[in-house]
Amino acid sequence: MTLNRRKLLQSMTALAAAGALPLPAFAQDRAIRHFWWGNPERDRRTFEVIEGFKAANAGINVTGETIGWGDYWTKMATQTAGGNMADVIQMAHTYIHEYAGRGALRGLNDYVGKGLDLSHYDAGANDVGTIDGQLYGINIGSTSQAIPYNIAAFEKAGISFDPLTWTTDDFAAICQKITDATGGAMTGSEDLSLYIETFEVWCRAAGHDMYNTDGTLAMTAEDVASYWAFWGGLRDAGIVEGKDATVILDKGMADLGIVKGTAAMTFRYANQVGAVQSLMTDPVGAAMVPQRPGMGFGHYVLPSMFLCLTRDSADVEAALAYINNWITNPEAIKILGIDRGIPPSQIGRDTLEPTLSPVEKNVVAYFGGIQDKIGPVPNATPKGAGEVRDAFMRIGTDVVLGYTPADEAAGMFIQDAQDILARAAG
Amino acid sequence: MRRFFRRNAAGYLFLSPWLVGFFLLALGPILASLYLSFTHYDMVSTPRWVGVDNYVYMFDRDRRFWRALSVTFHYVAIAVPLRLAMALAVAMLLDKGLRSIGVYRAIFYLPSLLGASIAIAILWREMFGLNGMVNEALAMIGITGIGWITTPSTSLYTIVILAMWQFGSPMLIFLAGLRGIPRDLYEAAEIDGTPKWRQFFRITLPMLAPVLFFNLVLQTIEAFKTFTSAFVISNGSGAPADSLLFYTVYLFNEAFKFFRMGYASALAWVLLIIIGAFTAVAFATSKYWVHYENERD
Repeated sequence: MTLNRRKLLQSMTALAAAGALPLPAFAQDRAIRHFWWGNPERDRRTFEVIEGFKAANAGINVTGETIGWGDYWTKMATQTAGGNMADVIQMAHTYIHEYAGRGALRGLNDYVGKGLDLSHYDAGANDVGTIDGQLYGINIGSTSQAIPYNIAAFEKAGISFDPLTWTTDDFAAICQKITDATGGAMTGSEDLSLYIETFEVWCRAAGHDMYNTDGTLAMTAEDVASYWAFWGGLRDAGIVEGKDATVILDKGMADLGIVKGTAAMTFRYANQVGAVQSLMTDPVGAAMVPQRPGMGFGHYVLPSMFLCLTRDSADVEAALAYINNWITNPEAIKILGIDRGIPPSQIGRDTLEPTLSPVEKNVVAYFGGIQDKIGPVPNATPKGAGEVRDAFMRIGTDVVLGYTPADEAAGMFIQDAQDILARAAG
Repeated sequence: MRRFFRRNAAGYLFLSPWLVGFFLLALGPILASLYLSFTHYDMVSTPRWVGVDNYVYMFDRDRRFWRALSVTFHYVAIAVPLRLAMALAVAMLLDKGLRSIGVYRAIFYLPSLLGASIAIAILWREMFGLNGMVNEALAMIGITGIGWITTPSTSLYTIVILAMWQFGSPMLIFLAGLRGIPRDLYEAAEIDGTPKWRQFFRITLPMLAPVLFFNLVLQTIEAFKTFTSAFVISNGSGAPADSLLFYTVYLFNEAFKFFRMGYASALAWVLLIIIGAFTAVAFATSKYWVHYENERD
């Protein structure tokens, strides 16, 4: 054939049109996807569990998808909008109301005892994942707040303290000692001014949560101002990390002062202490967030993560079999370890006991030690809580940089937070 | 009509990959986003029609919207002229008729290829950090640096410098433009004893005006759309203290972090209108300063 312009144009159009057609989906009788946020260590463990499940269930293919925390929620939002959610997803307590409330998750009540065995769980272990009487998220590990500290640096500075009963005054004195002992090369702690997670403990010590049960703001300007003023005092004394390290938000673990050796303490959840340890050679211990003298306990124990079944899951039976294997199979429990938190069942804990590494033993001991020093489970986080966290960091930055006094900034933050919640509820 | 097609068929043929992409892939989402901008849409529930509420909220109540505009306008006003000046300067150096000019062209173009990448943004963050390369260099001459990226008053300029460094594509276009200026104009000027700087203002710039105009429009649009560098350097937040809250970063956060896709669509349309307005102004004023050599009156 002779190639003239019209023919060329026609064939190019046809080619382009063909390229835009979706590829035919290859028939796969049973296939499910599991999506989680992770890190290399967690991914390795999870893929191992997936392989084990596939070996035992030849008819079901499981695809694992993993990404870091920050990008996870972006991708999740996109997949949710596109009606393309994975069958099984990992969920956090800060987002579960958001997703369940929008109908993206399936209620699990009907499956409990029928494909989903939760009989071995601790009493109340699934309360947080239950919304209006319907179970949406299965607890796959409990955790609590913690202050990871560099044991070697503490010993060198001659510090002895009780990590379960120390106060904010002790904390300040220890920061001073560490800074003095190292001639300022290592400060006592990261400046936690912008961590709403430690502020939450501070706030609860004063007797109330950050949010009321009706989703309105319970924290007060005094809570915020006193918190920022406390860290401001340490910052002015030069015994916590400087402002340039502080105002970088949501640092990766490798950038934490404790890992880089510029600070002896930081904040993490207890299940993350092992991951901090894997990045440094000095041994790492876990302490409670220090008590405010004469006030209540601010800590709480929460599921660090949930497994959820999504709206878009086509093969519910296969997805449930996968979830059930995850929470009941001793081999799977051993592979997963305490990377996602302490197992919320006695069977799980007994299974893990002989397999723990030294740092994991520390974390488990820490977790046992805090049990009589924790407050009640916090009220559910309302829609907009994620944005409030951003506002806390943004306005806190002005305080850290010395642009706005703590009490004035606290008033601005409360106003902003109220606006955010009102808008999110609307 | 038939004559029109016969005359322009080749043009449309070469445009066809773009046209096909536009009609099949881009047009639908563009129209959808216009619709969504009048809705409340959280990406899961069905969009709910709210009329012009999103636009009213934006102009009336949203302080961060104005903040994002201010950051972006600052950036465009500073970065575009600097990048164009940089591009023109390098193009003129390369126009001197160096040997193996192709190699130099490639080398100078390289930053532009790398510039949009995540790796460069991370490198930038390290370089301008408190203990970064820049401060170490300053320390050698006895100056104690600051955290350039963590100080709100300087953070924007680190991105301006990054933009200047990516002068490659306007440089190539300037270079082509410089090549097109008849040499005899300069010869005549030499004979008359015209100093070099006057040759630049009287010959080079006027002859380059169409190319300059093209670069100005393209680079302005590009600058309004800056995203990757600001997003990576500020860890996605626009921090510190919203000093890197570029319009696109704000838009991204509204859409994908706070699930306000309807509002984010409205933000996108406002940005489109702003860019369109700037381009229109550039075209409207161009007849006073851009002259085409083979213009027919």
